[in-house]
Amino acid sequence: MNIKLESATVYDPINKISNLKKDIYISDGKIVNRLQIKGKINKVINCRGKIVMPGAIDMHTHIGGGKVNIARMMLGEFHNEESLDSDSTAIMAPTTIKTGIKYIKMGYTSCFEPALLPINARQAHSEMADIPFIDKGGYALLGNDDFFLELLKKNASQSAINDYVAFTLHATQCIGIKVVNPGGINAFKFNQRALDVDEKSNFYDVTPRDIIKKLTRAIYELGVPHPLHVHCSNLGIPGNFLSTIETIKAAESLPIHLTHIQFQSYGNNGDKRFSSAAPEISNYLNKTKNLTCDVGQIMFGQTVTMSGDSMSQYKNHKHAHPNKWMCMDIECDAGCGVVPFKYDNKSFVNALQWAIGLEIFLLAKDPWKVFLTTDHPNGAPFTSYPHLIKLLMNRSFRNEMFLQLPKEAQEHSILKSIKREYTLDEICIMTRSAPARILGLKNKGSLGYGCDADITIYDKKRKDYEDFFANPAIVMKNGEIIVMNGKIKKYTWGKTQTIKPEYDRSIEKSLKKFFEKYHTMKLENYKISNDEMENLIGSEIIVNKCNGKRK
Amino acid sequence: MKSTNKRFITCPFCSLHCDDIEVEINSNKIKVLSEPIKNCTKKIEYFNISDKSNLKPFYKNKSLNYREAIIKSRTLLDKSQDITIVNHGTDVNGVRSILNFATHHNCTVDHINSKYLFKNLGIVQRKGYMATSLTEARNRCDVFLLFGKSILKKSPRLIDKVIFPEQSLCVKPKEKKLILIGEFDKKTIDILAKNYFVRNIKIKINDIPQLMELIQSKSIGKNDNIKAISNIISESKYLVASWSSSDLDVYENADDVISSISDFILMRNKENRAACMPISGSLADATSSQTMTWLTGYPSRVKFDGSKFIHDRNICDSEFIVENNHTDIVMHISTVGLEKIKLNKKVKNIVIGHPNTTYSSKPDIFIPVGIPGIDHKSILFRTDNVVSLSLDKIRCLNLPSVKNIINDLLMVQD
Repeated sequence: MNIKLESATVYDPINKISNLKKDIYISDGKIVNRLQIKGKINKVINCRGKIVMPGAIDMHTHIGGGKVNIARMMLGEFHNEESLDSDSTAIMAPTTIKTGIKYIKMGYTSCFEPALLPINARQAHSEMADIPFIDKGGYALLGNDDFFLELLKKNASQSAINDYVAFTLHATQCIGIKVVNPGGINAFKFNQRALDVDEKSNFYDVTPRDIIKKLTRAIYELGVPHPLHVHCSNLGIPGNFLSTIETIKAAESLPIHLTHIQFQSYGNNGDKRFSSAAPEISNYLNKTKNLTCDVGQIMFGQTVTMSGDSMSQYKNHKHAHPNKWMCMDIECDAGCGVVPFKYDNKSFVNALQWAIGLEIFLLAKDPWKVFLTTDHPNGAPFTSYPHLIKLLMNRSFRNEMFLQLPKEAQEHSILKSIKREYTLDEICIMTRSAPARILGLKNKGSLGYGCDADITIYDKKRKDYEDFFANPAIVMKNGEIIVMNGKIKKYTWGKTQTIKPEYDRSIEKSLKKFFEKYHTMKLENYKISNDEMENLIGSEIIVNKCNGKRK
Repeated sequence: MKSTNKRFITCPFCSLHCDDIEVEINSNKIKVLSEPIKNCTKKIEYFNISDKSNLKPFYKNKSLNYREAIIKSRTLLDKSQDITIVNHGTDVNGVRSILNFATHHNCTVDHINSKYLFKNLGIVQRKGYMATSLTEARNRCDVFLLFGKSILKKSPRLIDKVIFPEQSLCVKPKEKKLILIGEFDKKTIDILAKNYFVRNIKIKINDIPQLMELIQSKSIGKNDNIKAISNIISESKYLVASWSSSDLDVYENADDVISSISDFILMRNKENRAACMPISGSLADATSSQTMTWLTGYPSRVKFDGSKFIHDRNICDSEFIVENNHTDIVMHISTVGLEKIKLNKKVKNIVIGHPNTTYSSKPDIFIPVGIPGIDHKSILFRTDNVVSLSLDKIRCLNLPSVKNIINDLLMVQD
C-alpha cells in the first residue's frame, strides 16, 4: 500500500524540519523517499491546511499492571462517564480498550508504563496487550527488591549488578529500569517510615545514594538508551528539592531521568511551610547535562494516585478522597499504593502544585530535556494533555487560570511573570522527538525515511490549541488510517518495545538459588519468553538496539 | 512429546498454583510424585481421563463431533434473547474470549464464586486496606493469624510454602508463630503443634469481631489464653492475617468478620507492620476477576449492552437471573473444578467442561475442553492477585481450549 500525504505543513524536529510544506510518502507502513516507491500511489491524502507531526509518545503513563487494576476495581462508582466512542469506565482508571481509544484519538501512538514490577510483569503485559492501536513498553522496577539489596550489602561487583539489571530487562520484556523511592519501599516493610538520600536502611545498611549510583552505572555500562528512570526519595514532602538535587548528584554525572519532578520540587518556606522550588530545580536542570525529567503536571479535579511507593502512599492515605485506599507489599520485589485524590483549586497546596509544574515547564530552557506528562493518572488523566499544552502555549490563558487560584498561592509563585509561550516546534519535541530519542526508539518520533508511519495530522482551522491537539483530523499507525475526523476507522494492535542487553548468564545461578530458598515460585516461571509474549500474552515484541557496552 | 516422562509442572487446581510439583506422565496419565501435595484435596490425578467417552461432545444424550457441537451450540445461542455465561474457572485467554463473546452477544457474565469475591473486594471499595503476598509473608511474617475453619484443608501447602518454610529471609523459621482463630479441628492443630509453634483460640466465626475488639482494647480480663496470644500479637513485627471467604457465611457475618480483621491490621500499622492476605477460591477466581477488571472495569457480574457495561451485584447474579427467568440459556465454563455443576432445568444449558466434569442433571450440550496447564499453555493468577504463572501443556488429548471453542462459536457458519 502506497500513500502520499500531499502538501503537508511538516514539523519533524529530529530531522530539523519546522513548518515546512512538503509531501510525505508511505509504503507498507514505513515513511519512504518518493523514489523508493514501487508501483502506483494507492491513496493521496490532501494535507493542505493541515499540520503533520510524528505520532506522539507518552513516556510515563500508568496504563497496565496490578495497581491500575486495583484502581479500576476500587473506583466502580466513577465508572459512569458518558462516552460516545468507548465504555463508561472513569478516565482516571479506564479499561484497556478505552485507554487505546482515547490515546489514539489524541494522536498518541506509543505509550510506556513506568512502574512494571518484575513479579507482576506477566499481568502488566497481558493488560497492555489488550490496549488497541498503540505500541507500548514498560520500565521494570529495581532498587527495592531483596536480591538487589543483598548484592549491595555484600558489596557485589558492578559487573554482577549489570548482569542482574540486564537479566531483569530480558526476564520482564522491558525497555528501561525505574527505581521508586530507592530502598524506601523495602525499608517500609521493616517499619521505617522515611528514608533520606544518605540514610541507611536498617536491615540492609544501604542508602538511596548507593542504589542510584549502582543502577545509573549499570544502565550506562550496559548501553541501555533510556537512563535510570527515578522517582526520588521524599516524594511530596515540603523541602524535598534538596534531596532531589542530592539524587541527581548520586548519578555522578552519568545520565539520569527524574520522573514527575513537580512532586519533587517543593520548598518549605512561608507561613504554611510549603513553597515552590521550581526555580532551583529548573536551574539545576538547565546546567546539568546528564539530567532529563518529565513533569507530572497536576490538574484540578478527581483522580487516583497509584505508585510503587508504598511508603509515601501509606503516608498519603489520610488525604484519600473518597476515603478508601490500598497499600501492598509485594513478593520481596516492591510494593504499591493506590489512593484516590481530588486536587482542589481552592487549596493552597494544590494550587501551588499546579503552578510549580508549569513553572518547571517554562523555566526549563531545553525542550529536549523536559517531557510533557501528568504522570497519568497521578497528576491528572492523560486526556488533559491538550489543556496542558494550551497552558504552555498561551500566556494570557495561563494567567487567566492563574488568577483563579487563591491569593496566597499566587503570592508564592512567579508563574505570572514568566512570558514564555511554547512553540509548536517545542511541543513537537517534548511529545515526540525527545521521548523517542531518550528511549532509543530509532523508528519513532520522526518522519525520516525508514521510520514507522505513525503520524498525526492536525487541522490548522482549529485555532484554539486545546481544540487543535484534542482533535486531530487523521491519525495513522504503521501507515494505516486509524482515526479520521474523530472516528475510529479500524482496530489494530500495537507491539511491545523491549531491549535486551548482553549479560553473563551465570547470574542466573545465584538467582535460582535465591528463588529456591526464599520465593514461592521458580525462577523459570518469573521469566517471560518471547514466545509467551506473542502466543499467550498476545503482543509481538520489538527488540531495540543497545548503545553497546561501555565502561 | 515423549509418551513417558517426569517433569515439574505448575498445578492449575488451587489458588496457590504451586510450581514445584513433580509428575510422571505415562501415555497421557499423570501421576504426582511430589510429597508436599499429598494432602491437597484437589488432586491432579482426579483429572486423568477415566472414561474415553467423556472426550466426545454430546447433544441430548447423543454423541456428536466437535464441529456439530459448535453448530448446535451456536444455533441454540442465536435463538436466545438473553445469554448468561457462568465461569466456573478458566485461564486468562479463556476469560478474554468469554468477554469477547459477551460483547458480540450482549451476555451477562458471572463467576460462580462471585459472592465470596465481593466480600473481600468490598473492603477495598469501602475503606482502607493493607495487603501482602505469599513471598512477603514467607520471608517477613513472624506471627501468622489464620481465621476460619477449613483454610488449611483447602490450601495445605500454605504451611510449607508460606507459614513455616524451611528458609526465610528475615525471620528464623523456628521463631515463626501461627495463631489459629475460629473453628479449626483438633486433629489439624495437634499435627501442626508437634512441629511448630501453634496456638488456638477456639471461637465461633461469628464472634471474631468481638475478639478483635478485645485484643485491640487490651482489656482481656482473666482469659489467660487470649491474653498470651494478645501479647504475641503485640510483639509481632510483621503480622499477617489470612482467611478464606468461603468459611464465612456470606449472607450473615462475612462483612463484619472481614472488616474487623482488616481494621485490626490497619490499627497495627500505625506503629508496626501488618497486612492481610485472603486466600481466594480454587476456581481460578483471581484470574477471572483480574482479567474482567482490566477489560470491563468490574471484577465480575457484568451485563454487556453495546459498548456499555452494566454492573450490579444482585441483578447480574447468575442464580438470580435464572431463578427470575431473566435468561433462557446458560453457558457454563469449567476447566479446573471438581464440584458438581448445578444446572437449572428451567433454561437450556451448554456446558463447556473438562472431561471429568459432573453436573446435577444432563446439560443440553456438553463440549469437552482442555485443562489449562495440562492440555494447553495458559496463564493463571495466584490468590494474592499479583503473581500470575505461565503453565505448560503436558498431555496430548487434542482437547481444545476455552479460547478455541469460543472463537469457533463466534466464527461458525451454519
